[in-house]
Amino acid sequence: MTVRKLALLAAAAVAAVACGSGTSTGQTTITLGAPLGLTGSLTKESTLTQQGYNLWLDWINASGGIVVNGVKHPVVIKYYDDTSNANQSAVLMQKLITEDKAQFLLGPYGSAATATDAAIAEQNQIPMVEANGAAQSIFNQGYKYTFGVLSPANKYLEGVIDMAATLSPKPTTIAMLSADDNFSIEVADAINSYAPTKGMRVVLYKKYKNGATNLSAEVQAAKAVNADIVLNSGHLQEAIAINKAAKEQKLNAKIFAYSVGPSTPDFIAALGNDANYVYDGSQWTPQVKYTPAFYLTVSDYVAAYKAKYPGLGDPDYHVAESTAACLALQRAIENAGSLDPKKVRDALAALDVTVFFGQIKFDSRGINIYKPMVVEQIQAGVHHTVFPADVADAQAKYPTPAWDQR
Amino acid sequence: MADFVQLVILGLLAGGVYVAVGVGFGLVWGVLNIVNLAHGALVIIGSYITWQLFTTLHLDPFLTLPVDAVALFVLGYALQRGVINRIIRAPLLFTFLLTFGLNLVAINVLLFIFGSDFRSVTPAYSGQGLEFGSVVIPYVPLISLGVAILLSAALAFILNRTRIGLAINAIAADRDAAQLVGIDLRHAYAVTFGLGAACAGVAGGLIAMSQAITPTAGEPYTLQAFVVVILGGLGRVSATVVGGLAFGLVEVFAQSIPGSGSVFANAIAFGLMVLVLVTRPQGLLGRLR
Repeated sequence: MTVRKLALLAAAAVAAVACGSGTSTGQTTITLGAPLGLTGSLTKESTLTQQGYNLWLDWINASGGIVVNGVKHPVVIKYYDDTSNANQSAVLMQKLITEDKAQFLLGPYGSAATATDAAIAEQNQIPMVEANGAAQSIFNQGYKYTFGVLSPANKYLEGVIDMAATLSPKPTTIAMLSADDNFSIEVADAINSYAPTKGMRVVLYKKYKNGATNLSAEVQAAKAVNADIVLNSGHLQEAIAINKAAKEQKLNAKIFAYSVGPSTPDFIAALGNDANYVYDGSQWTPQVKYTPAFYLTVSDYVAAYKAKYPGLGDPDYHVAESTAACLALQRAIENAGSLDPKKVRDALAALDVTVFFGQIKFDSRGINIYKPMVVEQIQAGVHHTVFPADVADAQAKYPTPAWDQR
Repeated sequence: MADFVQLVILGLLAGGVYVAVGVGFGLVWGVLNIVNLAHGALVIIGSYITWQLFTTLHLDPFLTLPVDAVALFVLGYALQRGVINRIIRAPLLFTFLLTFGLNLVAINVLLFIFGSDFRSVTPAYSGQGLEFGSVVIPYVPLISLGVAILLSAALAFILNRTRIGLAINAIAADRDAAQLVGIDLRHAYAVTFGLGAACAGVAGGLIAMSQAITPTAGEPYTLQAFVVVILGGLGRVSATVVGGLAFGLVEVFAQSIPGSGSVFANAIAFGLMVLVLVTRPQGLLGRLR
């Protein structure tokens, strides 16, 4: 190439770089990092998490961005797919920090990935606000940089026990089936210690491999003890398998309650009428009555979800809690008046605000023990909130009729 | 006693699905020497076909099984003829890599078309069954077991009584000699793979009724097909039937160990496979080759 052509090429390159770098208004964007299981076994729940993050993202950018000392900063969320693998999630979290220069972190889906990511957040001293890892084991590690806006795992089924204690005739025996991952075991162990305080006994505690699809032996064991309440602590696929097996093997109980699964529309679509009467503990339902300090009200949030994701019904609690994580981070940045990670971390630790999701306040370990769980029941193919009474929109249909009498 | 009988019944019923999953896998492995890591994906494709027909046309899921078989046969034939045949004489690792890649592609195509929602087929008669005192034999798993046995019988019939089946047996016995007598290798290979895929498709239809499906739900079945074939023995369809039923029984009894013992169900099943490999490598019913 001639010198002239080389010079022209160099000039063009410099011009291109100059146009590309920086923003046109000189504002800096805030980059948030979020690894999610967008493929793999946790795809469904991770997609719901992403919906929650994106709902907030649209809203915050529509108003110009997060306000830090009077300056608006638009927000960008960088997502990576961790293929539902917890170790991969940690690798990607580190990549988000080192390569993508994420200034703050949003949590992945699931306690397993949240635990590995929390270690990365701690090492790099960058705050991570998460909404989908409820296992207390995450928060008992002494981490200072991880905050969970959701109620911890032990509360998931305690609400069902509380509700059962108010029903008549009062159920007294419990058959507890549990997957063997850390979240599910925490939920189950909590019931083992909580039930006696309400005058109930756990007569069977059976664990099975996480992700099992054939649970006929476990259901058979539950049938043998003839408990009033059958609880499952696991995830959606196992909840569906147990419900199918319960009908096939004629396992009857006054209450069937599953920790995760019944709150998603998939549960009802997959089981049809067999989904009726099932209870679950929920972090949030569209019937709760909280007055928000900022962002949308409960009904506006439901409308916003339906507008952005039509045809999917009401938002499930995974969506709502994910949005709540973003709100907590936003409010903490605003309160700190700075993008310095340590100042934002301190602001998060001191945060106490109520939004459509409920009260967001973290205990000394970083988990939100201040927001209560609610209990839902599926009645005639529709979710209803049945407990506590002040947010209930329907009475619990109790006791659950036997399979051959429905 | 009734409890034990119930567990045996549950084990055999669970075995039905494993038989269906295993016969196709074993055929492809035994004849083509291909360990098809995409077998689980083929199973799930069958599940989705059944689910789609059930949801949009309200066809009884058992009636959609022939559709699954035909559709997957065509897919399997095309895959073998077009893609896998190119590496058929390459070392085993190449077929691992290729079928692993096909697995990933299939899962992501399904994810793209159907999304990650969990779906299941719950016909009106699901949950009902025969009752003998406290022992229950639910209809859907019972008919599934029947279908699996029929499928195996049909496969055995094709392999032993039809021209193409005898050609496949000939190739399995001695590939070069089979070519010498004029057997079209590519066509026979493709039919074999197609038959294996068709069995996977039928297994998928059965699975759609027994559990919730999502694009990645087929992965465990590839591994379980492996164990079923090793347990029963490579080489004969009847061996795989025994392997599948045995696997179902082991799984159910291992899962009924009280308390936390049941989390070792997988370990026990695979431990049994190792035991069989060490003590009787041809499997419970297989023939040493």
